[in-house]
Amino acid sequence: MAPLLVLGLALCLSGTWAVDKGNFKTCEQSAFCKRQRALKPGESPYRALLETMELTNTRLTLQLINDNNKVRLLLELYRLQGNITRVKINELKPLKPRYEVPDVLIREPTTEPLSVLSQDENGVVLSLGVESQRVIISARPFRLDIMEGSDVLMSLNSRGLLAFEHLRMQKVEDGMWEETFKSHTDSKPNGPSAVSLDFSLPGVEHVYGIPEHADTLRLKTTDNGDPYRLYNLDVFQYELYNPMALYGSVPVMVAHSAQRTTGIFWLNAAETWVDISSNTTVFGKMLDYVQGSSETPQTDVRWISESGIIDIFIMLGPTPKDVFSQYASLTGTQSFPPLASLGYHQCRWNYNDQEDVKSVDAGFDEHDIPYDFIWLDIEHTDGKRYFTWDPHKFATPKEMLQGLMDKKRKMVAIVDPHIKVDGNYKIHNEIRSRGFYVKNKDGGDYEGWCWPGSASYPDFTRADMRAWWASMFAYDQYEGTMENLYTWNDMNEPSVFNGPEVTMHKDATHGAWEHRDIHNLYGLYVQMATAEGLIQRSGGVERPFVLTRAFFAGSQRLGAVWTGDNAAEWGHLKISIPMCLSMGLVGISFCGADIGGFFKSPSTELLVRWYQAGAYQPFYRAHAHVDTPRREPWLFGPENTALIREAVRQRYTLLPYWYQLFYRAHVTGEPVMRPLWVEYPQDLATFALEDEYLIGRDLLVHPVVEEGARGVTAYLPGKDEVWFDVHTFQKHNGAQNLYIPVTMSSIPVFQRGGSIIPRKLRVRRSSTCMEHDPYTLYVALNLQRTADGELYIDDGHTFNYEKKEFIYRKLTFANKVLSSVNLAPDAKFTTDSWIERIIVLGASKPSKVTLKTADGQEKQLEFDFDASMSVLTVRKPGMNAGADWTMTFQ
Amino acid sequence: MAAQVALRRQQAQEESEARDLRLLYPCTGIGGEAGIPQGSSISAGVPVSVSSSPAAACFDVFGSENQKDDKRFYRERKSFLCIDGSRMIPFEQVNDDYCDCEDGSDEPGTSACPRGRFYCTNLGFRPHYIPSSRVNDGICDCCDASDEYNSHARCQNTCWNLGQRERAYVEGQMRTLDEGLRLKQQLIEEGVLLWREKQAQLRELQQVAEDLQVKLEEHRRKKHEADRLKEQTLKALEAGDGGLIRHQNSSVASIFHLLDSNKDGSLTVDEIKAKVVLVHDEQRVLSEDEALALLDRGHRMDLSKFQSTLWDVLTRGDTVKIKDTQGAPGSLSSEDPHLKAADRAAEWEATNLKKVEEAYETVNMEIRYTYTLCPFNQVTQKSTAGVEVSLGMWGMWTGKPKNHYSQMVYENGEPCWQGGSRSTTVTLTCGTETALRSVKEPSKCQYIMDFQTPVACQPVLKQQGIHSEL
Repeated sequence: MAPLLVLGLALCLSGTWAVDKGNFKTCEQSAFCKRQRALKPGESPYRALLETMELTNTRLTLQLINDNNKVRLLLELYRLQGNITRVKINELKPLKPRYEVPDVLIREPTTEPLSVLSQDENGVVLSLGVESQRVIISARPFRLDIMEGSDVLMSLNSRGLLAFEHLRMQKVEDGMWEETFKSHTDSKPNGPSAVSLDFSLPGVEHVYGIPEHADTLRLKTTDNGDPYRLYNLDVFQYELYNPMALYGSVPVMVAHSAQRTTGIFWLNAAETWVDISSNTTVFGKMLDYVQGSSETPQTDVRWISESGIIDIFIMLGPTPKDVFSQYASLTGTQSFPPLASLGYHQCRWNYNDQEDVKSVDAGFDEHDIPYDFIWLDIEHTDGKRYFTWDPHKFATPKEMLQGLMDKKRKMVAIVDPHIKVDGNYKIHNEIRSRGFYVKNKDGGDYEGWCWPGSASYPDFTRADMRAWWASMFAYDQYEGTMENLYTWNDMNEPSVFNGPEVTMHKDATHGAWEHRDIHNLYGLYVQMATAEGLIQRSGGVERPFVLTRAFFAGSQRLGAVWTGDNAAEWGHLKISIPMCLSMGLVGISFCGADIGGFFKSPSTELLVRWYQAGAYQPFYRAHAHVDTPRREPWLFGPENTALIREAVRQRYTLLPYWYQLFYRAHVTGEPVMRPLWVEYPQDLATFALEDEYLIGRDLLVHPVVEEGARGVTAYLPGKDEVWFDVHTFQKHNGAQNLYIPVTMSSIPVFQRGGSIIPRKLRVRRSSTCMEHDPYTLYVALNLQRTADGELYIDDGHTFNYEKKEFIYRKLTFANKVLSSVNLAPDAKFTTDSWIERIIVLGASKPSKVTLKTADGQEKQLEFDFDASMSVLTVRKPGMNAGADWTMTFQ
Repeated sequence: MAAQVALRRQQAQEESEARDLRLLYPCTGIGGEAGIPQGSSISAGVPVSVSSSPAAACFDVFGSENQKDDKRFYRERKSFLCIDGSRMIPFEQVNDDYCDCEDGSDEPGTSACPRGRFYCTNLGFRPHYIPSSRVNDGICDCCDASDEYNSHARCQNTCWNLGQRERAYVEGQMRTLDEGLRLKQQLIEEGVLLWREKQAQLRELQQVAEDLQVKLEEHRRKKHEADRLKEQTLKALEAGDGGLIRHQNSSVASIFHLLDSNKDGSLTVDEIKAKVVLVHDEQRVLSEDEALALLDRGHRMDLSKFQSTLWDVLTRGDTVKIKDTQGAPGSLSSEDPHLKAADRAAEWEATNLKKVEEAYETVNMEIRYTYTLCPFNQVTQKSTAGVEVSLGMWGMWTGKPKNHYSQMVYENGEPCWQGGSRSTTVTLTCGTETALRSVKEPSKCQYIMDFQTPVACQPVLKQQGIHSEL
């Protein structure tokens, strides 16, 4: 939610629905960005002092000097396990320590040996250990080139834009010590402290990532406008297709070409701007033996941050999945969500009272639409005091939660990080008396204006504060809660209605550090403390579910993210795809947009299309602004209710697939929802696609996102692939643009030939009701008449999978035999679920189908064969889903 | 008309299909095994009921509505035709927990079919269908627990209790309905009487008006006469008017003497206060200041001054007059014990009232808004601060065609800051009292009210079928 006050103002002034850009800084208005951007390439003052080089087994250090001011920097270079190179640059002797981002890396990365291959007065060549990879350190000017064979993979400071504003005593130029934006003055007591570095990516034309922006999947060049900005902000009615900052930041860019995929992780939590240009400059001083020509495509990237140090992780791929696992090795993988959270979520600002909740819940049963979670926004609290309930509207919350539990459903209630300043409010008194609030520049508790009126902000950067916050989720602390209540952290950028750019003053302090240093981390810490609270209240048994709006690198470990306050417009439906794809590429798989659009009221067509598209995105939640008319799925006539019901049902049938993809994401860091190029890295036609995507490897989705659409054109990749329409079972060849006529009930989805996807076709009231239900396996044969897939089963909600309590099976179809083998023989779990049906797409008619179970017994199975579609349906094989078996088609 | 024809045609078709099906599957009368096929994975825990109907040795298939037509579909024989006729399957595949029929008809007792229905017999309560997806989902849906025959849920048979409650409720509803209808009838009768009365009054008034017309004419005539006489008199007065003034003087003097209690030839404030009262408030003694004003701001007034000032005021008679001299209220003894008791009682009541008022204030602070519905006029919301907002002006009836007068809409109330204006939908329900039962605001500026009134009672509400037997 965005501030109401601003809404009123925007309406008065313009009467239009668009962001008020004047509330947010351009690079020109941000003193450090303006300063840094004014630097000219090719004039680097930095020189490497090779004589200072020290090399221990795994660590190289080297001093750099700025010849203009003689300030020395210390460069550290590490080779990390898994084909990652880390480069750190800090002042050699800073006036006081500069901020280094903690709590984002899951552990101190494991280093690998480095060795010097050659050295002279112009530079040093280091071996990176594998595949003839080398780093060349050039001394004058300082520059790094990472090579593989004769290819330059990446160059640092090749354009000479390294800049490191050293901490200093005296006040100098305007804008460096104090800066005013609108009515807010930033006192900047530490003066200038920005850092900047450029990267050149030869051979690269496509770069992705650095969310969150409402922009295309493929990042644009920024020569003619502002750089992409990373600064977590509560942007009211954000505009599409521009580089403005939004609610979250992940400073990770992925570069892809047909030859290689690489990534840059810029670990800095301060306000950051990223410039992208493409072949704008001649390729600098290419090293002699590089076969570079001006025709080689090249992308140049430049990162600028307001404070902190330069700490970069260069992930060298070479495949997209290598980059994902490299990044996951640094910041962790997607948290494994409770199965129910992959179901449908019904939210609104606000469900007014318990009776309202009850009647919406009953509405889902009456209209036979499944859902798992109903949500309560800020109005459920006692005067926006989080951890409390409105005594009149929600007088007996446990009764309400029990009512939901009786139907195996759950609830999410919001807990925001702004705390009402109120001497009668326990949470406030505790935080204040413990000194846990963020401080203003004068040392008092920082106060700003948010939903409750005057509010203070807990200092979530403190571990002791987070531990205390987590303890507040205990059932005896957070009264009226039960195990089926989960949490939503909104406004955690943090949003401060009367602050500069609707956020916290940069000169507010978190202990020794300024808010400036930690800003983009605040939201991550809020979610971290909350998720920890949910884990602790269950004694460490239950997996948490926490939704956040603000995020940073590492937030994937903590829960789900949504794209904030979008609007009921076709453009917003459309952009939900590239926005979630961008997050997936940098680790955050559990992403979704508000179904229907938050602001404004959707047309019925838009709402239905959004339900259809959302059914095939990871986080599936409808949400609406308090001022919009009600839009529960059954309010638009029986036909539209039926369309929405069908979309939600499709989601539920696929929950086994979603769940195992999240398990995979949790184990490997691969995105659940991914761009086509991730699976078809050499197919240039896929590089800029953002109107279709893959779920896992095997489902291709091209949702209808245009008003009045009569058809869509989907690109089916892979010249050796075949794709099956999941609704009609029609087979299509790969490597073609396929026109698909659509009606209001169409959701174009294709299963890849060569895959096996498990579904549960008995869609019930909630995912939990489907726990023991049987599976139907969809076996889609490729041209080689083979297929494979996986089946993952556990209890769906505890951490017991970490104790190997799960079933993980490999399903293979080859040589007319379908078999299930155990992928995790050391894991133990039992399930009531059995295999109800097997549907083989692209099959030929067998004369008989025989099932052989582990005990050696054989039985003939009945089957149906649809010759027109080549679909074979095996009737009721009946074996347990966790068992070994083979099925022979003769 | 065309629609009715079409409907009738469809009914005829269904009846004939039903006949065909009966012919297709005549009751075999061969029993032995129950309706659940042997060897099916669910046969173990499934309760099977044998029909007590004397008509046949037919066995009921679990999950179907045995009492009615469905029976014909599930008679045991070698094969089963899906009810939609799409497919023939072996009878063992009925209720074997695998969906064979597109229409779900082969699995009336399991959750296997996506579009299936399960029949809760619910003896003692109301029978009904639930979606097949609610069979064995761990949630008790049928009050007879028949839907959870193979799940972890421990369901109790609650039909009898529910039935009791339902019957009591329905009886209550029926009483309310009867009472409501009686009140409605009464209102109608009262309305008719009132109408008749008003009609009679109207006729009377018309008569009175006519009479008045006559009288008016009469008076006009008289006035005309009087005017003529006055003219004559004036002419006579011009001849000698002293007599009239003298007559007046004597009258002035007698009033003066009446007021001059101490007979000293001048009026004082006290004398005025004793004898003169306000026309509109005879009980109140004039204040010093008021009396002084009547004395033309002098403390004493002699006869000549009286004649030129107070006399005029008294003769005009619109503000003050001379007090009745008899039975002055002051003579009532304030010492009367009855009166004292009454006084105390009144005081006591006043204290009580104050307490109640205070309590009301407190409650009122809790209830943040007071809603008022003026039928066919408007709906308003008043905050405790006293700010009144219009939630809509009378718009129209919006009930469904069958019951058009069951819902009304009030629209174009106070504008909302997001655009649009407030509106209220009022649903009328049958009740013995006329009152607003609830107000909700499901979306901003869109209100829903439940308005109970005997006027909404309809004689059509009938008790729905509940098993009265067990």
